[in-house]
Amino acid sequence: MSNLFGKYGTLLALVAIIVAFAIASPGAFGTPGNLINITQQMTLLAIVSVGVTLVMAAGEFDLATAAFVSFGGIFVMVLFAAGVPSPIAFVIVLVVAGCFGAISGFIVARFEVLSFIATLAAGTIVGGITFYMCDGATLFGGIPTGFRDIARGWTIGLPTLTWWLVGVSILVWILLDKIEFGRRLYAIGGNRDAARLAGVRVVPNMVTAFAISAMLSALVGMLLTARIGSANPTGGSGYLLNAYAGVFLGMTAFRDGEANVLGTLVGAAIIAVISNGLTILGVSTFLQDIITGSIILAAVLVRRIGKEA
Amino acid sequence: MLLEVRDLKKRFSGVRALDGVDLQVEAGTVHALVGENGAGKSTLIKALSGLVTPNSGTISVDGVTRPISSVREAEALGFRFIHQELSLVPFFNAIENGFVGRPYPLKGPFIDQAAMRAQVVRAAELIAPDLPLDVPTSRLTTGQKQLVEITRALMTQGARLVVMDEPSASLSDAEAARLHKAIRALADQGVAVIFISHRLDEVLSICDQYTVLRNGQTTGTGQIAGTTRDDLIRLMTGHESAALARTAPQVVGKPVLQVEAVPFGPEGETISLEIGEGEILGLYGLVGAGRSSFMKQIWGARRHAGGRIRLDGKDMRAGQILARIAAGGAYVPEDRRGEGLITQRSIAENLAIANLRSMRKVPGLPLVDDRRVTENAEAVRSQLAVKMSNATAKPLTLSGGNQQKLLFGRWFGRPIRLMILDEPTRGVDVGAKAEIHELARKMAATGAAVLMTTSDMDELLALSSRVLVMAGGRITAELTGEEIAPERIVAAAFAHTERKETTGS
Repeated sequence: MSNLFGKYGTLLALVAIIVAFAIASPGAFGTPGNLINITQQMTLLAIVSVGVTLVMAAGEFDLATAAFVSFGGIFVMVLFAAGVPSPIAFVIVLVVAGCFGAISGFIVARFEVLSFIATLAAGTIVGGITFYMCDGATLFGGIPTGFRDIARGWTIGLPTLTWWLVGVSILVWILLDKIEFGRRLYAIGGNRDAARLAGVRVVPNMVTAFAISAMLSALVGMLLTARIGSANPTGGSGYLLNAYAGVFLGMTAFRDGEANVLGTLVGAAIIAVISNGLTILGVSTFLQDIITGSIILAAVLVRRIGKEA
Repeated sequence: MLLEVRDLKKRFSGVRALDGVDLQVEAGTVHALVGENGAGKSTLIKALSGLVTPNSGTISVDGVTRPISSVREAEALGFRFIHQELSLVPFFNAIENGFVGRPYPLKGPFIDQAAMRAQVVRAAELIAPDLPLDVPTSRLTTGQKQLVEITRALMTQGARLVVMDEPSASLSDAEAARLHKAIRALADQGVAVIFISHRLDEVLSICDQYTVLRNGQTTGTGQIAGTTRDDLIRLMTGHESAALARTAPQVVGKPVLQVEAVPFGPEGETISLEIGEGEILGLYGLVGAGRSSFMKQIWGARRHAGGRIRLDGKDMRAGQILARIAAGGAYVPEDRRGEGLITQRSIAENLAIANLRSMRKVPGLPLVDDRRVTENAEAVRSQLAVKMSNATAKPLTLSGGNQQKLLFGRWFGRPIRLMILDEPTRGVDVGAKAEIHELARKMAATGAAVLMTTSDMDELLALSSRVLVMAGGRITAELTGEEIAPERIVAAAFAHTERKETTGS
């Protein structure tokens, strides 16, 4: 029983939070419309979190995510300004971001540099490139209508944005849980030396994980641009700490301290639900930050204390 | 008598680490403590340093019984310990290292640098007046670091007994000579030294008395004068026959592994060897001889290496583990938890990780078939008699022997041509040990070549069809058949080249 609670405790916490808000504000929070709206609100952050989950499965950190979000948004605008059609621009942004991610992955895996430092440096470089491309200014105008539709409106019964989250989550879930790549990545994350000696090639697997994480962040940057119709070189700055908060919350769910996609989704949902619920209750955003931070600390502490007991 | 240990016994979960040890050390002498790995030397030292509480027996200082229950008490008695792994802060110099964990001399609220220097210089002059004190210790040689450690031990008042655990294991001849001088100087100050070494020539040349341990018991003690190397070896090995079954495979087919001029040891020596089908080659050498890193090199875990490694005639490049696996290689590392098991993942996944491709749902697609992963685990469980509740449990829930079986089982399901075993039964109970030995023999019987290294003499005798003994970075003996006897193996392991005593420096 206690085992079951340990495994699903974080999920139960999410349900409890939803129920609490639904009771506090039945007319506004508890409506199906608002719940669907939450899935849309959480999408951008959750996609970054899901990307980070890959890197965390390999036991590393990617601190360049926020920079890649800004980069994706600005770079796609620059390509539009150069007259590149949107599908091609979309692919170019993903490929370029993927290459940058691959380079940091290579440096981390091959030269065994601390990923914390390597990706911090990579993020700084990517941030600089982003500012250079837009000369530090917010870019707007010139976005093809078709491109804006990737993040607006509804598609088959759900907000279009929500579908991106569904698709990315399924993709990364397959990568991590269903194919050999995932097993190898978890093995590397669990014990890099043991994995290597058992014939797992650390470098290519790690390079792939970092590349996908960078691509997903850049994707979020583009979705953000499509949604708000402009791009700011610091547009991604909010996507680092909150993305990790989601992953860390997720690591307390389902699996014992291991980054996993389902857990990450629950973690991201907790953050999104709290933010949405508190807004509806009219709590100031400053207070929201304090509450969100406290809940993350509490979740990790409860887990930790439960382990020691 | 400065130190007198009587009938000391210590049991660790049923294993008798110390089973009646006696030791007497006089002030102003250098006392050699010798014995094979596992003879109980380190447990005895831990008992003296307060890290281990003995089950029975007494430790007396100056004739007064003193139970030592903490590191602080040992320190108060004047005991100082210099461990094999040096514990210096690398970017601190000798003076700064001297005060780590100790009260600094103060001038008002500030650290008194001059007083620090004075204290360290006073201690250093006793043993090594020429020791560089202002250089970060990371830039010193291993020998100089040892001297810094000794200086540190002498700095505080009241050092009466200094215990050195294999201080010369990684020193060059000249540095060892320097160390010997320092040890002599220590004894001349009236300090007693317990000197642990595997180098018998060194023991014979610098020590005054000796005590030999075997299987947790004192088997001999006396004056070095009038004692020979052979006397010590006899005391160390005893004459008991090996308890384990000795059925080494003797059939040797065509060569499977050919190793030419692969670097080994600290000074760039190289080793060549060949293992045939069905043969178990046992590598013996004392700990610290570089065996594990040699085994890793054979396995391709080092990117840059020299020499040539061939498996069934095919060249195996450095750093190419996958090529070795494809050619039928298998490797069981020495450090089960650090290099073998992926502890957060299930037993089934630990068994599958080297062989994921054979567990696909559809050939050609990298989709993992979890049913097959489980079946594979069940197959290994029944083949190796692994005692586990279920395959989804984590590997650390198993006993050491069963964990070790997992590391073997990881390579099943494909033909094995070469099996590399690094300490295959360390920390494994006797029953599982016999099973693992049987497994190694079975591998050999199917035509695999087995390269094994072990510091367990019984294991070496039980399994090896041929034994290579290494000492000082080279092979000092190659033994087959009847020649494989403990006395000959140990004699070869201690056969270091004559040291040239360098004067001055």
